[in-house]
Amino acid sequence: MAELDLIDIEKHFGANWVIRKLNLRINQGEFVVLLGPSGCGKTTTLRAIAGLEAIDSGEIRIDGKPVESLPASDRDIAFVFQLYSLYPHMTAFENIAFPLRAFRMSDKEVREKVKSVAKVLRIEHLLQKKPSALAGGDMQRVTIGRALVRRPKAVLMDEPIGALDAKLREEMRVELRRLHIENQSTTVYVTHDQVEAMSMADRIAIMNDGVLQQVGSPTEVYSSPANLFVAQFVGSPIMNVVNCRVESSDSTTKVRLDGMESSFQFGGEVYQRVAAAGHDDIALGVRPEAVLVERTEQPGYLVGEVHLIEPLGAYDILDIALGKAVIRARTESRFVTRLHEPVWVQLDEIRTHFFDRKSGLVLNRERQSKWQS
Amino acid sequence: MAKLTLNNLSKTYGDVAAVRNLSLDIRDREFFVLLGPTGAGKTTTLRCIAGLEKPETGEVWIGEDLVNEWSAANRDVALVFQQYSLYPNYTVRKNLEFPLKSKLRQLPAKEIDSRVHKVAETLRISHLLDRRTDRLSGGEMQRVAIGRAIVREPRLFLMDEPLSNVDAKLRELLRSELRGLQLKLGATLIFVTHDQVEAMTMGDRIGVLCDGELIQIGTPYEVYNSPYNTFVASFVGTPTINLFDGTIDGDRIVVVPEKFEIVLQPALRVRLNQVAGLRNALRVGVRPEHVKLVAKSDIAGTLYGAEDHGVEMILTIRVGEHLIRATSSATTRVPVNAPVQIAFMQDKLHLFDPETGKNLAQA
Repeated sequence: MAELDLIDIEKHFGANWVIRKLNLRINQGEFVVLLGPSGCGKTTTLRAIAGLEAIDSGEIRIDGKPVESLPASDRDIAFVFQLYSLYPHMTAFENIAFPLRAFRMSDKEVREKVKSVAKVLRIEHLLQKKPSALAGGDMQRVTIGRALVRRPKAVLMDEPIGALDAKLREEMRVELRRLHIENQSTTVYVTHDQVEAMSMADRIAIMNDGVLQQVGSPTEVYSSPANLFVAQFVGSPIMNVVNCRVESSDSTTKVRLDGMESSFQFGGEVYQRVAAAGHDDIALGVRPEAVLVERTEQPGYLVGEVHLIEPLGAYDILDIALGKAVIRARTESRFVTRLHEPVWVQLDEIRTHFFDRKSGLVLNRERQSKWQS
Repeated sequence: MAKLTLNNLSKTYGDVAAVRNLSLDIRDREFFVLLGPTGAGKTTTLRCIAGLEKPETGEVWIGEDLVNEWSAANRDVALVFQQYSLYPNYTVRKNLEFPLKSKLRQLPAKEIDSRVHKVAETLRISHLLDRRTDRLSGGEMQRVAIGRAIVREPRLFLMDEPLSNVDAKLRELLRSELRGLQLKLGATLIFVTHDQVEAMTMGDRIGVLCDGELIQIGTPYEVYNSPYNTFVASFVGTPTINLFDGTIDGDRIVVVPEKFEIVLQPALRVRLNQVAGLRNALRVGVRPEHVKLVAKSDIAGTLYGAEDHGVEMILTIRVGEHLIRATSSATTRVPVNAPVQIAFMQDKLHLFDPETGKNLAQA
C-alpha cells in the first residue's frame, strides 16, 4: 500500500477552472473521501490520480515518485466506478480472478486469493453465478472484489454505491468500511453524499468550485467547519444559518438574530472574537441538536412558537419561530405534539459558530488562524 | 378543497396488477403520503385519481362527486410531477397565468393578475416573475411548478415525487416549505414518494404500499412505532430496524441461527403470552436507538463498525453471524473489534409472525 501526494494540482477546461491549487496528502492505509456537489472537481481529481485525466500543472506522487509519465495501467491503482462493468459471460469467480490471470499465478493461488476477498465481501456463495443472476448490491461487491484482489497500491472509488437503493447503501457503507479495516488499502473515495463521507472516512476533503475547502476527520468537519460552505454541506438536517447582530453588554455578549426582538446571551469572549475583530456582517450557525428546547420558561431561554413538527421516528425536528426568525431544533420524539405551542429556546454556546458573511470564514476560536495559515 | 375517497380501486397492466382493491379515505385539508418502493402502485393510484388512468374496478370520489367518468380536466385537480414541465420560453408570470387562461375558466385579467401575485408572494418568487423559466435554479423551478398548481385553486393537489430531482440540502428546505404552505392554504394534498424521510416529515398520515396493496395507513408516529408488518418496519426508519428469528424457550427468546438469548423481563413475558399464544417461533424487531451498549449483558459481541455521523454514532455490532445496528451518542469512543455487550430496551421490542411477517400486537 502506498501514500499519495497531490501538490499544487491545477486543471481547467477552456476558461473554466476545474481544480485550483489542490494540495492533499493521503497517508498509507488511509481512507480519504473527496466530498462535494456535482462539478466541484472531485471526480476530475480522482481521474487524475488514476492517470485517466491529464493535469495542467502540479505534481502527483505515489510513494514519493512522480507519476506524470506513467500511463494508467502502470500506476498499480484499482478503480471502481458507479456502474459495475463486469464481464457478463464470466462467473463472479472468473471476474474477480481476471486481474490475477495476467500474473501467471497458479490456479491454487488464484483460488485462495479470490476466496479470501470473497469472504470479506460475503459473496462466497455467489462465486459460480454470472453477473446477470446477481442483485445490484452483489454485482457491486464483485466489482469491488475484482479491484481489491490483486492488492493494488491504492484503490480509487467513484460513487461506487450511488446507484443502489437506500437500504443497500446503508449495508454497503458498513461493509466498505469493514473491508478497509481488514485490508488497510489506501483508498480515495468520491461522493456527493455527506452521509457516506461521514460514515466511512478517516478524513474528508471537501471541495467546492475546484477549491479544497477543508480537510479533517468527520468529527472535525462536523464540529468545527472552516467556512459556511462546509457548515451547510455536512450534516443533516442542515445547520441553521441566520444573520445576526453581535453586541457587547457588560461582560456578556448579546446576539440578536435578524427578525428577532430579543437577544441570546453569550459569554463576553464571543464579542471579543467576533465583533471586536472588526466584523460586522455576521451569520450565526448552529446545528439543530445544539438548539436547546424546553417546554417551560427557563432563565436565559427565549420564547418561541412551534411552526412545524417533522417526525423522523427516532427523533423530531421542530421549526421554531423566534419573532420572524425561524430556527430548527432536534428533540426527542413527541417532545412537542401540537403546532403553535410555545417553547423556550437557548443556543449551546460551545456549539454555536459565527461566520463572516463576506468571506464565509468561521470566526470561532483559534480555528480561523489555523485554517488561513 | 375537498376530501377524497377511493373504493376498491384496481388497475392491471397486462398480467400485472398495479393496484389491488385499494380503499382509502383522505380527509379535507389532509397532507396524505403514498409511500412505497418502485412498482408499488403509488403513481398508478395517483394517475387514477387525476383521471389519467382508468381503473378496471372501483370508485373515485372527490368531495361528494363520483368522478370515474369525468375527464381529467373536469376533475379540478392539480398535478405536480418530478419533472417540472414548465414552458421554458415563457416567463414565470406566463407560466403561472397559463392555467388561468383556459377557455373553461374565462377569468377577468384583473383576477388573473391578483392571483398570480398572491401565489408568487406565498412562494417567495415575486422577484422572478419576469424571468424565463430556463434561467431558474432547480429549487426556483420547482417553486414555479408548485405555484402553477396553486394558482388554479383546485380541489385537490396531487404530487408525484416533486422533490426527488433537487439536491439533498434543497430538498430539506423544500420539505418544510411545502408542508408549511399546505397548512397555510388548508389544502388537501396527496404526495407520492419512495423516500420514507419525506413521508415521515410531511405527512399527516402515510399509506404504505407494496405490490399494489395498501399495507398500512397511519400517522408517521404510528407507522414508525407500530408497523403493521416487517415490510413496513424495515421500509420506514433509518438506520434500518434489526430483525432476528427466534424461538420462545421458557423465560427467554433464543435467536437463531447463530444463537444468542434475550432474557425476558417480566413485562415482556406478559406481553409475549398475550400476543404469541401457542406459537413458539417469532421474529423480533428492535430499532437501532433501542439497542444500548451496557457494562454487562447476556448479549456479547464485538464492534464491527462505527460510523461517525456528527450528531450521533451508528455502531454495527457483530454477535455470532448477526450484525446489529445501534445508535449511540456522538461522544461514544469504542475501538473497532473491541468486545462489547448490548441490551435491548424490551418495552420497545416488536414481535412479528415469522411466516406472515405480521406484527403480533396487531393480529
